[in-house]
Amino acid sequence: MGIDDGEGEGEARQVQVRFVTKLQHPYKVQQASISIPANLTRFGLSALVNNLLFTANVNWTTEPFDFLIDGELVRMSLEEFLIAKGISAEKVLEIEYIKAVAPRKQEEPSLHDDWVSAVDGSSDGYILTGCYDGFGRIWKAGGVCTHVLDGHSGSLTSVCNLMPKVDSIADQVVATGSKDRTLRLWEFGEEDTIDQPKKIRSVKILRGHTGAVQSIAGIPSSDMLCSGSWDCTINLWNTSATDTDDSVSVKKRKTGGQDEEALSEGDALTTLVGHTQCVSTVVWPQRETIYSGSWDHSIRRWDVETGKDSFNMSSALIAAGGSDPVLRVWDPRKPGTLSPIFQFSSHNSWISSCKWHNKSWYHLVSASFDGKVMLWDLRTAWPLAVIDTHSDKVLCADWWKGDSVISGGADSKLCISSGVPVL
Amino acid sequence: MKRAPPAPESVILSPEIFFFGMIDDWEASAKKQLALYRKPPPPVSKSSLRPNRSLKLRFLSLFSAARQLLRLLSSSQTTKKMRSKRNLNGSDEKDLQKRKESNLVEIEKRIEEAETSSDDSPFVSDFEDSENDDDETLMGGEGSSDESGSQESDLSVSEDEDTFQSRYDDEDDDNAVSPHGDKADEHDNDGVEDNTGGSDDSREIVEESDSSEDEVAPRNTIGDVPLKWYKDEEHIGYDLSGKKIKKKEKKSKLDSFLARTDDAKSWRKIIDEYNDEEVELTKEEINLIRRMMDSKAPHADFDPYPSYIDWFTWDGAKHPLSNAPEPKRRFIPSKWDAKKVVKYVRAIRNGQIKLDDKPKEEPKFYDLWGEASSADRQGLAYIPAPKPKLPGHEESYNPSLEYIPTQEEINAYQLMFEEDRPKFIPKQYTSLRSVPAYEKAVQETFDRCLDLYLCPRVHKKRINIDPESLKPKLPSPRNLKPYPTTCYLEYRGHKGPVVTISAEATGQWLASGSKDGTVRIWEVETGRCLQIWDIGEPINEVEWNPELPILAVAAGQDVFILKTSCGSDEHQKKIEDLLHVQPQVEADDSNTNESIVNWLQDDTHGGIRLKHFKTVTKVEWHRKGDYLSTLMPSDILFPAIYMQ
Repeated sequence: MGIDDGEGEGEARQVQVRFVTKLQHPYKVQQASISIPANLTRFGLSALVNNLLFTANVNWTTEPFDFLIDGELVRMSLEEFLIAKGISAEKVLEIEYIKAVAPRKQEEPSLHDDWVSAVDGSSDGYILTGCYDGFGRIWKAGGVCTHVLDGHSGSLTSVCNLMPKVDSIADQVVATGSKDRTLRLWEFGEEDTIDQPKKIRSVKILRGHTGAVQSIAGIPSSDMLCSGSWDCTINLWNTSATDTDDSVSVKKRKTGGQDEEALSEGDALTTLVGHTQCVSTVVWPQRETIYSGSWDHSIRRWDVETGKDSFNMSSALIAAGGSDPVLRVWDPRKPGTLSPIFQFSSHNSWISSCKWHNKSWYHLVSASFDGKVMLWDLRTAWPLAVIDTHSDKVLCADWWKGDSVISGGADSKLCISSGVPVL
Repeated sequence: MKRAPPAPESVILSPEIFFFGMIDDWEASAKKQLALYRKPPPPVSKSSLRPNRSLKLRFLSLFSAARQLLRLLSSSQTTKKMRSKRNLNGSDEKDLQKRKESNLVEIEKRIEEAETSSDDSPFVSDFEDSENDDDETLMGGEGSSDESGSQESDLSVSEDEDTFQSRYDDEDDDNAVSPHGDKADEHDNDGVEDNTGGSDDSREIVEESDSSEDEVAPRNTIGDVPLKWYKDEEHIGYDLSGKKIKKKEKKSKLDSFLARTDDAKSWRKIIDEYNDEEVELTKEEINLIRRMMDSKAPHADFDPYPSYIDWFTWDGAKHPLSNAPEPKRRFIPSKWDAKKVVKYVRAIRNGQIKLDDKPKEEPKFYDLWGEASSADRQGLAYIPAPKPKLPGHEESYNPSLEYIPTQEEINAYQLMFEEDRPKFIPKQYTSLRSVPAYEKAVQETFDRCLDLYLCPRVHKKRINIDPESLKPKLPSPRNLKPYPTTCYLEYRGHKGPVVTISAEATGQWLASGSKDGTVRIWEVETGRCLQIWDIGEPINEVEWNPELPILAVAAGQDVFILKTSCGSDEHQKKIEDLLHVQPQVEADDSNTNESIVNWLQDDTHGGIRLKHFKTVTKVEWHRKGDYLSTLMPSDILFPAIYMQ
């Protein structure tokens, strides 16, 4: 079991390794250290682990694995990796293996009438998409549209789930932003009308922006909504006032159109002014802070309570893509520097969207105009997986159910890549 | 017997001892030599023996050396005293004279005794006697008046005499009881000298030289009295016990000379007249004399230029001279000083005191070929003299061949105008020495002066800026990274060449016109085509209104003002109003001045159509969006009023 037991010069160098994992039972291998050739790559290691698992369990089906050494994913041959990281090959190397983060299955694409501009997968029960034809859609699964949100006069730019209830699909409230300068709130319940998607009308219309609404974000477990717009402002809205405001602002009953429900209107609670260009994206990760990205090349953090533009960033990492093919990650907690801590530059065109996995600290999905969706891990500079199902620009991407990546693009398709074992 | 050359009172050793056997000619030179020292002429020696020339010279040099030494050794004070005494006692001269005479007589007697005592050579003694007589007869008569003659005669006689005397001397040496045999010899010689050259001299000399004072207590106790007082006495003084010190017998010259030639050390022997003995100089003393003759310090180990040791610096002194604590006044600023300073400061401020700077050092030489520095002379009218050309290789005396013109070239020079003709034709010379004077030097100097004089004193302003520095510094392309390098987004849809684009004021939309007759509006962010108008004619220009989402399109002879779907509802309403009202107004206008522009409602495209009579190439909105101007290539600009 020694290292290079005088086997000869031609023989590849041997390293002593021990495979460990945090995965549960069927994935565990015996803890004994074994000696393997150092020129093994990830693929070889994966095959090795699979073999080990096969010896333990005859019914084992091959599973791709990814390997971590000292918190770094192995992306070259073991030897090169050790040399590059300056890790001694003399002692027993501990290699942690995780399931490779890559989509196992491409589900049937859900076809839209127009470009898919927005997608939200924060609710496990359904997927919410916004489309350029001005309708929002709710999909139960790939290709199964249950509801159509009909009301906007302009194309949708952004959608978001408000108060996502994970367990059931009933009485969901979703919000959409549109180029017609309004936001609308929708409510829908669980209805199984599979053949024909049910059209639902909005319950509330939020007016206040003077430019197209570009991005909306709600905060979980709250009734607040924020939106960024082409008028360079961020507005905060109250969403729960549906019932209370009914008496105040009822109306909008168009004579010519079909019967319209009582449509309550809401005004912006407050406006955050500061950006000098279109606010292209807003994120509301915590109750107190809103992050916003703008075409004025800045990312700002807003204190919700004061409405102030505060720069003392204190939360976790921020990831952003822009009009260049580089995905950047900042750490606002790091004092004194504003330079990104990670830069991922495998895309070929503008990055239209990026999202963190809501459970994992490391994983990130990004969509680009080059038609690719990429999965990233902070522990390596290479993309974990590239989803290349779109034939045109990808405009939006999100995680769904923790193990799927959903993305919509200019080819009017909503693609769902499932079986991504992030955790 | 008695004759004394008028010996001066200055210090005189008995130099005659060195002059035995000197011949006439070198005697004369010696005299001259001595004259240089302002010494009396040396007494004439009678010796007829001729030592070789080098010996003579050596004697001569030694003579002067010894003289110096004894001068040094003898205290000058004593001589001075003596002099003064002598001056006072001028009346003693006669007594002295008498004494000398008697002294001489005594000496003669003594010599005779000595001769008689020496059995071997009575003949010699006789001879000597006769010689002495000779001397006396010669000298006694008229002293030194006829010195040279007497010397010559002496010499003729003494030739033989010396030969004999040497023998006699030897005898004498053997017999000598005194510890200083040599000295005895010397004294004999002295005696002889005295007879010939004058005993006065020897006496005086003896008196004034007390050389051995330092080393040995002098035997003689007479003190600083002139020795000539004892000249006529038989003793030279008194010893410590008060007894008379007898003068030693004097050898005959011949004897002493012979002894001298035999004795190798004789050259370093001198006579201490004071103690009446002969002293042999040690080597050290000789060196001392030599060094003094070279006008060096007498002692060899004396360093005239020692390195200066400053014993009184206190740098690094461990202990201070005084351990007293610093007085208070050392660390309290003096009030009076402060007052004074304030006073000075005020005076400086008021300009009463002017602090003149150090006078500037003028450069000693004018650097003819240096850089023109007008900094020194800042006068307005100052024009620095033009620098002459530096000489090159062709001005060398031996230039390389390529610099030397051939004969044809020289001939060609003659055909040139005089102004163009080279002033200097290089030539080759074998050496610098053979270079002739430059024949045009005067002419050229004059020309240059003339140039300087006639130089037009006009200032030409010339900005001395490096043109490179005016260039803007280009940043390196690496730093210019966010310039467009990659095409990220394409707006696809046009079938023909796109000739014009225009971005909306907010930057959200982009309008483009193409030769295929379509106008499209694009979403900038995604490249989505929002709206298409098919005008049918090639588009020349599209232009967004700066305020409203209205598009002006120039196509063919028409200008379309198109309503777009962008913009808020209010905007849309306003636009609709504007674009609807227009046709009526325009209809009226068309009646009045139909020739220029026809305003027509264009429902197919949703806007207004302005019909021109010529192709419109350009359309431009006013900054505020109220006015529109179009350009036809005819020749007139037609402003179209577009009311809002």
